[in-house]
Amino acid sequence: MKKKIYIVSFILIALYGGWYGFDHFNTKKIDFNTDVRPILNKNCLSCHGGVKQLGDLSFLFIDEAVKKKNESGQRIIVPGNAQKSVFIKRILSTDTEVRMPPEKDQLSQGDIDILVKWIDQGAKYDTHWAYKPINRTPKLPNIDKQIASTNIDQFVIKELEKKGLKPSVEAEKSSLIRRLCLDLTGLPPSIDEINEFMADTSEQAYENLVDRQLASPHFGERWASMWLDLARYADSNGYQKDKIRKEIWRYRDWVINAFNNDMPFDEFTIEQLAGDLLENPSYDQILATAFHRNTMTNDEGGTDDEEYRVAAVIDRLNTTFEVWQGTTMSCVQCHSHPYDPIKHDEFYELYGYFNNTKDNDNDKDSPLKVLYSPYQNKLKSALENEVNTLKEKGDTLSNEYQKKVAEFLAIEPGKVQVMVENPPDSSRTTRVFIKGNWLSHGDTVLPRTPAFLPAMNPDYPSNRLGLAKWLVDGKNPLTSRVIVNRFWEQLFGNGLVMTLGDFGTQGNKPTNKALLDYLAFQFEETYSWSMKSILKEIVLSSTYKQSSAVNPELLKVDPYNYLLARGPRHRLSAETIRDQALVISGLYNPKVYGPSVKPYQPEGVWNVIRHVDQWINSTTDDQYRRGVYTFWRRVSPYPSMISFDAPSREVCVSRRIRTNTPLQALVTMNDPVYVEASEALARRMMTEGGSDTQSQIKYGFKLAVMRDPDIRRLNELINLYDSTLGKYNSSDQNIQKGKISENTNAFKTMSLIANVILNLDEVIMKT
Amino acid sequence: MKIIKELHDQHQNMLNRRHFLKQGTLGIGAVALGSLMGCNPSINKQIITGSDNNYQPFVAKAKRIIFLHMAGAPSQLELFDYKPLLQKLDGKLCPDSLLAGKRFAFIQGVPEMLGPQFSFKQYGQSGTWVSDLLPNFSTVVDDVCFLKAMHTDEFNHAPAQLFMHTGSPRIGRPGFGSWVIYGLGSLNENLPGFVVLVSGESAPSGGKSLWGSGFLPSHYQGVELRSKGDPVLYVNNPKDISRDLRKDAIATINKINQQEYEDAGDPETLARIKQYELAFKMQMTVPEATDIESEPDYIKEMYGIQPGEVSFANNCLLARRLAERDVRFIQLYHRGWDSHGSNDFESLHGGFVERCNEVDKAMTALIVDLKQRGMLEDTLVVWGGEFGRTPMQENRGGISNKFKGRDHHGEAFTMWMTGGGIKTGMTFGETDEIGYSGISGRVHIHDLQATILNQLGIDHEQLTYHFQGRDFRLTDVAGNVVKDVLA
Repeated sequence: MKKKIYIVSFILIALYGGWYGFDHFNTKKIDFNTDVRPILNKNCLSCHGGVKQLGDLSFLFIDEAVKKKNESGQRIIVPGNAQKSVFIKRILSTDTEVRMPPEKDQLSQGDIDILVKWIDQGAKYDTHWAYKPINRTPKLPNIDKQIASTNIDQFVIKELEKKGLKPSVEAEKSSLIRRLCLDLTGLPPSIDEINEFMADTSEQAYENLVDRQLASPHFGERWASMWLDLARYADSNGYQKDKIRKEIWRYRDWVINAFNNDMPFDEFTIEQLAGDLLENPSYDQILATAFHRNTMTNDEGGTDDEEYRVAAVIDRLNTTFEVWQGTTMSCVQCHSHPYDPIKHDEFYELYGYFNNTKDNDNDKDSPLKVLYSPYQNKLKSALENEVNTLKEKGDTLSNEYQKKVAEFLAIEPGKVQVMVENPPDSSRTTRVFIKGNWLSHGDTVLPRTPAFLPAMNPDYPSNRLGLAKWLVDGKNPLTSRVIVNRFWEQLFGNGLVMTLGDFGTQGNKPTNKALLDYLAFQFEETYSWSMKSILKEIVLSSTYKQSSAVNPELLKVDPYNYLLARGPRHRLSAETIRDQALVISGLYNPKVYGPSVKPYQPEGVWNVIRHVDQWINSTTDDQYRRGVYTFWRRVSPYPSMISFDAPSREVCVSRRIRTNTPLQALVTMNDPVYVEASEALARRMMTEGGSDTQSQIKYGFKLAVMRDPDIRRLNELINLYDSTLGKYNSSDQNIQKGKISENTNAFKTMSLIANVILNLDEVIMKT
Repeated sequence: MKIIKELHDQHQNMLNRRHFLKQGTLGIGAVALGSLMGCNPSINKQIITGSDNNYQPFVAKAKRIIFLHMAGAPSQLELFDYKPLLQKLDGKLCPDSLLAGKRFAFIQGVPEMLGPQFSFKQYGQSGTWVSDLLPNFSTVVDDVCFLKAMHTDEFNHAPAQLFMHTGSPRIGRPGFGSWVIYGLGSLNENLPGFVVLVSGESAPSGGKSLWGSGFLPSHYQGVELRSKGDPVLYVNNPKDISRDLRKDAIATINKINQQEYEDAGDPETLARIKQYELAFKMQMTVPEATDIESEPDYIKEMYGIQPGEVSFANNCLLARRLAERDVRFIQLYHRGWDSHGSNDFESLHGGFVERCNEVDKAMTALIVDLKQRGMLEDTLVVWGGEFGRTPMQENRGGISNKFKGRDHHGEAFTMWMTGGGIKTGMTFGETDEIGYSGISGRVHIHDLQATILNQLGIDHEQLTYHFQGRDFRLTDVAGNVVKDVLA
C-alpha cells in the first residue's frame, strides 16, 4: 500500500513539477501570515492544531512542525524544496486514503500554489501580526497635507488611494455637532449649544466644542456604558436567586469618575485588577477591584460552592484576556487552543493569578468592604470644609450649619464586593483540570504568563498586581491595540479589527493595520494612556468629520465602510436612545452618580424569582435619569434595553450586535416612557416653539435633529397634523381652546407628531 | 474569490442584517422578517453553515414543537416509573452502594428509602403503568412515547434547566428555540418564531436566560407572551391613539424615512421602514392569536382554562392556537414541582398533587386537540422536568424531612414525547428495580436535544455558530439521535 502511494505521489509531483516549473517565473513573495496561515487554519488545524495533534504534528507551533519528520524519517517540510516535502506530497496525492485533508476535495490550485511557493521560498514563518511589538517609530504615509490634514487621515487616505477612492466632504455642521455630542457624552446638544456652535465661525469652533464635551461630567457616563459591558456589571448576582447587589453601584460610579478624571488607562487597569495589592491602597483603589467581583454567585440551595467559585475564577481569567488582550481563552480551559499558540497548561498558569482570593461563592457574597463612592468622598470632604468654615465663624447655630451637617451625615457608605487576597500561608494550590473538568485534577502549576507573549518583568510580584502591570508596561503588544480598537468601534461602528474580542488568528485582520498601530502608539506613548487625548485626536480627524451619506457605487465597493470613505452612521445604543428621548422632551434629570434607579417598567416583568426584591417604579425625578443608572438585573434586564441589544451582563460582552426589529418600533412608539416623552416634547413644542403650528413642528424637529426640516419632511408632518386634528375633532366634541391642557385635541395631535419625530430613522441613528 | 466569499460570509454573523438585504431571494420583506422572527428558510443554508459547504436541512417530520417543561422536576416515581420493590424497601436505610461517590443537593449521611406514594394501574393497549394522579393522561398513553431512562449531568435547578434548554449548565448560551429559529427561520410573518409561556409559582429557576439568545444576535431570543397585561410588551397603543391614527403615524414615519434613504442612501433605513410595517401587523395579529376566550365553550372546558388567570391550562390552549398560526418553537414552563418534603408546598402529598391536578387535564387536552385537528403529525410535543427525584426520602442536615419528599436526582427520570414523527404506544429505556439508575436505553440531555433537532430537520452537528474563537452548537460536543423512538 505504502509503496503504491509513493509511486502515485511521485508521478504526480513530477507532473506538478513540470507545471510548476512553467509558472516559476511568477516569483511573488509569499507572506506566511497573510497567505499561508489562513490555508493552514482552514484545512489543517482541526487535526494538526491545538486540540488534536494527529501524528504528533501541529501546524500551530510552526517552528516545531518545520523540524518534524514522519514515521519513515522523511521531513514533513523541507525548506527550499516543496517536491521533497511530505506535506506537499500528501496534499497532491490522488489516493483519497492518503490525500490531505482527508475526506475532502483536493485543495484549490491557488492554495496549493501558495503552499508550494512558500516552501520553495524557504518555508519562512512569522509571528501572528498581533503578537509582534508595536512599531515605536511609526512612519506617516507621505500624502499631501491639503488632502490629508491629520495623521489619521494620512493613513486612511493612503488605503483609499489604493482603491481609487476619495474621502467624502465634511458633514453639515448640524450633523457634526449631533454626532460629536452623542459620541462623547451620549446626549444630544441643547438648542443653545447648537446656536452657539453655528454662530462660531472661528477655526477653533469645532475643537472648542470637542473640549467642552470632553470636560462634561456626562462624558464619563457615556463611556462607562461601554466599559460596564466588559466588566459584566449588574445590580444582581446571577443564577437562580439572582440576589440583589445593593451597594455595587459604587463600582459603577468609580468607572464614571475614572473616565471623567481621565484616569490614565494603565492606572485604570492596575486598580481594577489589583488595586487591593497596591501599597497602602486608597478606598477608591479597593473599590476598583469590584471589577472582578462582578462575576456571578450561585445561591441556589444544594449547589456546590467550590464548583461556582471555580466558575467565577475561570470567568475572571477569560474576561481579563478578552478585555485587555483580545484573546479567546475559553477554549484553553479544556485543551490547547485550536488556532492560537496557547497550551492547555498555560491556561492554568494564568488561572493561578486569580485563584487566590477569599471569595468562595458563599451566600453572603463576601468578602465585602464598607466603602463610599468616589463622588460621595468628594461630597463629604466638600461639606466637611464648609462645616469647618462655619464652625470657625462660630456659626454652629445657624440653619445653614445644621443643613450642612445633616447633608454630611446623610452620605452613607455600603458594603461592596471587593477582591481580597489570601495570605501566603493559606494560599490555594492551582492544578490543571484535565479536559477542563474541575473535579479531575492534573499537575500543580505556578502562576506564569503564556509563552506567546513577552515574559513578565522578573521584578513584578507573581500575583494579580504583577499580571496587571505586565498588561500595561509597554511591552505587551496587545493591550493598546485592543483598547484603542474598542474606542474606534464606539465612534465608527466597526473596529479596525472587526472582532473586538479576538485578535488571534481566527479573528479578522485589521482593515488598516498601520493606522491601528499608529493609534496604539499614540495612546500608549504620546498620550501616556490618556483616554480623552486619544479620543480627541480621533474626533478631530477629517475622517471622523466626513458626511455619512453614501452613493450606490461606494456602497457596492465598501458596504460596511471599512475603508472609511464616508463618516460613521449606525443605530444609537440602547442607553443613548433612551437618554436622547429624555433630553429632547425636556424630561431629563441631569443628576450624576448615585444608587441605581428603577424607571417605569410594566407590572409582572420582574416576577421572575420568588422572595427576592421587587421592582417599584420610581415616582421621583429619578425615573428621568440616564440609562446607565437603570437598575440592571441579570435574569430580568430592563425590557426596552434588551430590545435595543443591550446584553444581560452575565458575562463579558465585547460588542453589541445591532439589530433592527419590530419590537424596537413598539418600544419607541408605545412604551410609556416614550409616550410620556412624546407628550413632554409636544408641550415643549407648543410653549417654546412659537405661536403657529408650523413653527412648533419645526422647533420639535430641530430639537431632535439639530436642523430645520426641509420642505418635504415638514409637509409630511403638517399633513399628519391636519388629518389627525381633523379626526380628533370629528370623533370627539371635547375641543378646548386657549391654554395647553392634556385634553385638548391640539395637544393630543401634537403628541402624535412628537412621537413620530422620536421614531424617525435620523433620530434613532447616529448620522 | 473564495477568500472574499469567506470573508463576506463571516460578516453576516458579526454585523447587522444588511447582508441579507442583498442576499435574500424573497427581497426586503423576507429579510426584515428575519430580524424578528428568525431568518427565512430560503436563506437559512447560509446561516447554518456560515461558510460554503453544502449542508441543507433535511425534510423535517415536525414543523413545530411544543415543549412542556415541568420546572422544579416532578418525581418520576410517583407518576410513570412504577417500582413495587421500592415499596418493600420503604423506611429502610439506604444501602451504601447507592451513596458511595455520589453528590447530592441536600441528602446527607444515610437517608431512608421511600416507597411510591400513590397507586399505579396499567392503561391502554400498551399496558403502560401510570399513577392515579393523572386520570386524564392515562387515557392517552397509547399516543405517546415514554423515555424512562433520561439522565443529566446537573442536579441543581438553574444549571439543569439551562442544560436542558441551552445545552450548557452555565449562563450565556442561546436557548433551544433561538437555535432552531437561527437554523430554520420562522414559518410565520406576523408572530415571533420562538414564544415562551410561563405559569406556576413564578418563572423557572434558570430565569430568562433559558430563552435568551446568548451569543446569537438578540432577535433570536424567545418572546414571552404574558398572560396579564400586554401579551407582547408595548404591543398596544396608548389610549388616545386609535389603530387608524397609528396607521397614519407609521405612514408618515415611513415617508420621511424614505426621504432620508434618498438623501443618505443607507439600506438600513429601508430595513427600518419594513420593521415599522411589521410592528403594525403584529399589533393586530398578537391580540387575535392570544385571545383564548374566543374559543368555543367545549374547547375551553376540555382544557379547563381559567379566564383572566395565569394558568398552565390557558397556556396549553394558547400553545395550540400559536401552533395553528405556525409559531415554530412554543416553550411552556410550569413551576412548582420541587417536592423535597421540606414543607407542605414542596411535598409529594401537598404541592405535588396540586401540580398534577393543574397539568393533567390540560396536557391531555392538548394531545387530543392537536390529534383531532390533524396537527399532531407535524407537531412535536415534549414533556418533562430538568431531572428526576431520588428513591430516598430527603434528609436535609441528616434528618428526614417533615413531609414526604425526594431529593434532586440526575441519573434517572422520565420524559414523554408525542407527534412529529415519534413512535407511539411505546416505552424506551428502563431503570433498575428502584428507579435509581437507567439500565437500558439511557438517553442523555444532549441525545434528547439531538433527537428533537433531528425531527425538526436539523443535523445537530451541523448547526453551529462561531463565537469567541470556536464553533458552538446546542449539543456541545456530544449527543446521538435516539433512533429507536423514531417512527
